[in-house]
This record gives sequence, C-alpha cells and structure tokens, in this order.
Amino acid sequence: MKKTLVLSNDIRQIPELAAFVEALAEELSLNPAEAMSLNLALEEAVTNVMMYAYPAGVTGQVELEVDALPGRLVFELSDSGVPFDPTAAPDADISLGVEERPIGGLGIFLVRQIMDSVEYARRGGKNILTLTKKLT
Amino acid sequence: MTARLVGRLDTPASQEAAVKIQPLLDHADKTIVMDCTELSYISSSGLRLFLTLRKACAAKGGKVVLHAINNDIRQVFTMTGLLSLFVVEDA
Repeated sequence: MKKTLVLSNDIRQIPELAAFVEALAEELSLNPAEAMSLNLALEEAVTNVMMYAYPAGVTGQVELEVDALPGRLVFELSDSGVPFDPTAAPDADISLGVEERPIGGLGIFLVRQIMDSVEYARRGGKNILTLTKKLT
Repeated sequence: MTARLVGRLDTPASQEAAVKIQPLLDHADKTIVMDCTELSYISSSGLRLFLTLRKACAAKGGKVVLHAINNDIRQVFTMTGLLSLFVVEDA
C-alpha cells in the first residue's frame, strides 16, 4: 500500500501531517505509542524541510510518500529546494548540563532515534530523505 | 506560578506559545509548575520552550516542575536527555 501527502512549505500545515499519520496508523493497526513516535519523527523531518529547503518568501512543495511493506514502513520525503543533507549534522550531545545545552538540534536527533534508517540523496534536482521504520 | 498546557505542542502551536511564555520567564527566580495533565503530544519545538524556561531558571535561581506528564511525553524527554534537567512530579 502506498499513500502520498503533498504540503506546501507552511508550518501551519503540520496538523495535516498529523491527520495523515493518524489515518495510516489506524489502517495498519499500530499501537498508540508507535503512532506517536512516527508522527514525531515525521513532523521533525517535514518541519526541517518547510523551514530550510526554500528561501524565505518562496512557496515550494514538500511531498511525503509512504510505502507499507511487510514488517516495515518506508517513507520518502522530497522537495525541490536547495541541496541540503540533514544527515550530515552532528548528533546532539544529550549529556550536556542545562547551561551548555544548545536550544536547537533536537529535531534531526529525534528522527534518527525513532527511525531505523535515515538516508539522504540528491536526485533529479530534489532532496530525497528516505526513512525506514521496522514494525514490531 | 502554574502554566497549564492543553493538547498538542507541535511546531505551529509552539511558535504561538513562544510569544506567550514571557510572563513565565519573568518568574524564573521562582518555582514554575508546568501542568501537563492535558498535554497529549510534544515535538522538538515544544521541548525548546521547556529548555528556554529551564535555562532562564538556572540563571535566576528558580526551578521548573513537570507536573503529570504522560508516558509518551516522558519518553520524548528521556530520549533527548532532557528529563533529568527537570523536577518531575506525578499527578
């Protein structure tokens, strides 16, 4: 089963992503904790694209396709924005104390924690982030 | 001072909330209770608000109490290493 969601680079559309994940979770009978963590990882990945792929003031598309395979879900997130590899960022150091903790950097960290694999490619003028989640 | 969080603290909701936390930052020398009884979801932008508040309290001598966070949200705080920075209080 494949499903696709197309959004524009507008943060206010994030609730549509939540509804998409909720419908998917229902169809696949995922438990609530699994559904929540999927929603979280996808929100972080999509938000990242919405905020950074296109220059300020430029409207662009963000496309999310999910392929439900036996035992795993494969998500492909693509945009036509500037080349950007979110997997190149160093992992957040979560052992730091309160004064030293940077305010940002937790988004991609959560994507990596929740998903089983995160791969970036630049193909046909698009950024393509492939996220795989094994199902228990 | 107590702040009550209701519903989903996703990216757009956190951006709205960010402009409303100033009264809490003004109380960063005291105990600020974040009542999470009705908080159902949090993303990194929401965590950022908690961390901003926690940093302000660290600078001014106050503390931030997480009151009644549910297991899913506790898991997000744990995964990001943030849980230990807060006082956690059960319902």
